[in-house]
Amino acid sequence: MGYDMTGFPFLTILIFLPLATGLCLLPVWNCRPDLWRPVALAGAIAELGVACLCWPAAAAPAKGAPAGFFLFEDYPWIAEFGIRYTLGMDGLSLLLVILTAFVTLIAMLASWRPVIDRVPLHYLLILAMESGIMGVFLSLDLFLFYLFWELMLIPMFFLIGIWGHGRRIYSAIKFFLFTLAGSLLMLLAIITLYLIHGSQTGVYTFSLYGLIGTVVPHSTALWLYGAFLLAFAIKFPLFPLHTWLPDAHTDAPTAGSVILAGLLLKTGAYGLVRFGYPLFPAAAATLSPLLMVMAVTGILYASWIAFAQSDMKRLVAYSSVGHMGFVALGIAAWTPVALSGAILQMVNHGITTSAMFAMIGMLDERTGTREIDAYGNVWGKAPRLSFFFLFFAMASAGLPGLNNFVGEFLILTGSFKVSHLAVALAGIGVILPLVYTVRLIQELLFQEERRPLIIPDLTVTECGMVVVMACLDLYIGLHPGPLLDMLHSPVAILTGGAG
Amino acid sequence: MDMLQFPANIAAAAGVNFAAIMPEVILSVIAMALLLVNVFINSEQKAYLGYLSLIGIVVTFFSVVSGWGAPQSGFNNSVLQDNFSLFFKGTFLVSAFLTILITDQYLKREECNWGEIYPLILFATVGMMLMASGTDLMTIFLGLEVLSVSLYVLAGFNRANLKSNEAGLKYFLLGAFSTGFLLYGMALIYGSTGTTRVAAIASYISQNGMVLSNPMLVAGMLLMAVGFSFKIAAAPFHMWTPDVYEGAPTPMTAFMSVGPKAAGFAAFLRVFIVALPAMKADWSELLWVLAVLTMTVGNITALKQTNIKRMLAYSSIAHAGYVLVGFTAGNAVGTAGVLFYMLSYAFMNIGAFAIIVLVGRKGEENNNVSDYAGFGFKHPVLGMCMSIFLFSLAGIPPAAGFIGKFYLFSGAIQAGYVWLAIIGVLNSAASVYYYLRVMVFMYMKDPTEEFDWLAVSPSLALCLLLSVAGVLIPGIVPGTLLDLAQKAILM
Amino acid sequence: METIFFTIVAAVTVLSGIMVVTCRNPINSALSLILTFFCIATLYVTLDAPFMAAVQVLVYAGAIMVLIVFVIMLLNIRSEVGRRYTHAGIIGTVVGFLMLVLTFNFLNNSSLTGAKGLITTDVINKIGHTELIARSMFTDFLLPFEITSILLLVAIIGAVILSKKKI
Repeated sequence: MGYDMTGFPFLTILIFLPLATGLCLLPVWNCRPDLWRPVALAGAIAELGVACLCWPAAAAPAKGAPAGFFLFEDYPWIAEFGIRYTLGMDGLSLLLVILTAFVTLIAMLASWRPVIDRVPLHYLLILAMESGIMGVFLSLDLFLFYLFWELMLIPMFFLIGIWGHGRRIYSAIKFFLFTLAGSLLMLLAIITLYLIHGSQTGVYTFSLYGLIGTVVPHSTALWLYGAFLLAFAIKFPLFPLHTWLPDAHTDAPTAGSVILAGLLLKTGAYGLVRFGYPLFPAAAATLSPLLMVMAVTGILYASWIAFAQSDMKRLVAYSSVGHMGFVALGIAAWTPVALSGAILQMVNHGITTSAMFAMIGMLDERTGTREIDAYGNVWGKAPRLSFFFLFFAMASAGLPGLNNFVGEFLILTGSFKVSHLAVALAGIGVILPLVYTVRLIQELLFQEERRPLIIPDLTVTECGMVVVMACLDLYIGLHPGPLLDMLHSPVAILTGGAG
Repeated sequence: MDMLQFPANIAAAAGVNFAAIMPEVILSVIAMALLLVNVFINSEQKAYLGYLSLIGIVVTFFSVVSGWGAPQSGFNNSVLQDNFSLFFKGTFLVSAFLTILITDQYLKREECNWGEIYPLILFATVGMMLMASGTDLMTIFLGLEVLSVSLYVLAGFNRANLKSNEAGLKYFLLGAFSTGFLLYGMALIYGSTGTTRVAAIASYISQNGMVLSNPMLVAGMLLMAVGFSFKIAAAPFHMWTPDVYEGAPTPMTAFMSVGPKAAGFAAFLRVFIVALPAMKADWSELLWVLAVLTMTVGNITALKQTNIKRMLAYSSIAHAGYVLVGFTAGNAVGTAGVLFYMLSYAFMNIGAFAIIVLVGRKGEENNNVSDYAGFGFKHPVLGMCMSIFLFSLAGIPPAAGFIGKFYLFSGAIQAGYVWLAIIGVLNSAASVYYYLRVMVFMYMKDPTEEFDWLAVSPSLALCLLLSVAGVLIPGIVPGTLLDLAQKAILM
Repeated sequence: METIFFTIVAAVTVLSGIMVVTCRNPINSALSLILTFFCIATLYVTLDAPFMAAVQVLVYAGAIMVLIVFVIMLLNIRSEVGRRYTHAGIIGTVVGFLMLVLTFNFLNNSSLTGAKGLITTDVINKIGHTELIARSMFTDFLLPFEITSILLLVAIIGAVILSKKKI
């Protein structure tokens, strides 16, 4: 593609378009309820459009940007501290940005009908969160990154707390405090790194590419990386820091679950790839066995626990912990193949799990329960819904030909060189999801009816939504080439000589 | 000065320089004029006194701004109006301005609409200013006394309310007690150095290094630290705070938690950094312990409060702890952080108290956290303001509170106090819980009773507007303010 | 001779000070306080500060205490009966003991003043104590002196606000 995109602030637009759309809702807050949903939806669609427009830009690197970045913006912000407004997009960011725009759209559609009270606030929060997540995926300045990292917590807190179910307040606060505690320690690590760099070179900067290569004594680096790892592992979430996730997922409204699973978990993995490893390569290498242990334990433990769940949402939440364990394994291996697999798996998990939560949301909306025991013979009542449920459950379990399989396969292949044992154990983790998924499907769709529930089939809108997601699953499963091509250069740069 | 010679020109001998005390003079004159005006107007017109005092504060503010960058010393070095004191004077004026904006509505509701409150607030501000610019222990002490006496009265201003009476009396007794410590400390310092001038103390110590081993000097430093700690409500000298803050009229609580605390820090910083730099190793150890205790005690106790004024009282103890972190660091970043934080704290805390004034009912009712159930949806704009203030207090970006904490903790890390910074951020994370709890009630619980229709007076609305601006603007573009704070610490 | 005199006066000061807080009858307390003030005035005399001694007697022992005794009489405050709050006694004893240890530490380890002030006995004899105080009050300490006026003004307003029946 030959058109020139330099100079046009795509990245700023990506970050602030959702927020601006959300603010557009304010004037029509009290009047025109018919405008709320269309305005929000239009914003989300426009955002997806802008995100897709960035794809062709990958052809040419941006001027003055670090290697691999094809869109880049850099302005001074708080000169006193050397804080700059630096945004950059490479293949890795691009995939996650598109994923963000897409999942947000799904989240909005998923809350189209269930959310009936305080609608404008609901959409405002979703849009604000989209802005925050975009910011996380695009920031190349550690301070800016931290800012967005915190910003995305606030809307999620309100989403869970206001529209959630069950122990929503407990879950919202737990979610907020868990993630905040981790990220505050990361903030201290960022400041320390900044001061070390400043005292060594005289240049005080928070810029990622300014700080990479700072000579930090290994013992200090371990502490600093440990703080980063803690923050990211909580977000990931890695065993044993995952306890906030099942609560938050179970009690969140559908849109909240979709965004939580589809996007927020990815920010932890992204942070590790973009900031953790490049800033402290030696410390990361030292601690990568720990990460690997956490990953493998998480995979096995989560599958085991998922097996015993009676609430569908909780089951999928635990399966998320397992899937993210695979991502962590791929990152811990830090070979080009494993890392590509891990990033691809992030995208896959984003799509598939969002779809799962959306489908559970639809069931919940129809029947008012998420207990597996309550259902039976859904296939007979709502065949279309059941078909897609089956489809996404299988994709989630890693059926070959669908997207998750590709990611898991790449991760395992890529990690094999690094640790046979971890791969062997994780291999078991590939099979376990199949067991509980099959159980879920069997009980839900095919067992005889246990309670006389009325389950209408999918509406046209819902059909459209799930068909798009299913197509994406299928496409990535059969033809992951373009995505892997996009990842090739950033992964090569990130892993450097390691591969 | 030759003692045997009678000075020919007293004014010259006294070193009279009005430029050095211009803001204090303007504000005192206006306060006295208000006392006179007060006699001639009836009780419905008392609000005009408020408007007049606002004008007075603005005029004084201009005098402060025009003095920036041109240090003026006067009265034989007993005051020094430098950037440091000017920055603090700005903070005091801001807090007095915001307080007066929320006072009128409260006074009318509580039926204690006496005009004397405005001159008292202005006199308290004069006292704070003298504390910030005092370079003589006597000036600092008398500034503190002017401030304290005004505050004792302000705390007990709501005469019909027993809790207010209790607050006034308690504050008076403990304030007098703490003043004793401070004065004793000053006396010991005077005894061992032979002077009360801050700069002269420092030069005497540096010329006679052996005084450092003199236990009298150490005891003087300790006692002064205790005295100041009472004023800034640092643990374990914080016991008076919750009762006084809860009982005092709400606008006065807002004022007390911000202005006097900043003034305490100003004098604390001036005395310790200018007069006793030679003992930095000693006092930073001491402050380390104080900071940790203050943060932790404040936060842990705030966790279980049900009355929102009391909760904010404990939270203000915790905030003093964060500021002590920057003070402990004692370096440029930490000290500038203290200045920046106190100013942003003025905005966010008074903003939050403005909402409390609004929600409260006659007789200091309706001040429990649970009374805020459903508030966020019933009054979306007010709810949003409150959320912004609470997030800022909790240190969540992009509010000024975040930049302030960032600044303070950076200072601590730079000075090598990594553990202090870690304890600080963990405390900050814990504090989020009780701020969130208010928001949980505001947005996630259904109201137990119908909300009254809230009448927002124009002045209160202006206060909210200014506070929101004061929280968000330095949070998003802190450049100018950081710059000012950095220029202000070159004492 | 001087030491013996000082010891006696100091002991009386401390004892009467203790009496102030331990007496059950408010009148006795007030009278003990007057005695304390007199003793302190005596100490001022021995320190070559006759003016301070005079002021101490006139202002504190004279004006203020008379007022206090007057108020006690008018309000007809009874002597206190019943048990006192005992925590304070224990804590006070501990703190007092610590102060005592601290004071002994000072006396043993330090020369009390590092610096010699300008106002020596010679100067006092030559110029006069009162004039010296006036000089330093109106030159070096002019500003603090002026601030005192504001302090008093604030105190008066406060007294009116808090205690007047009808404002």
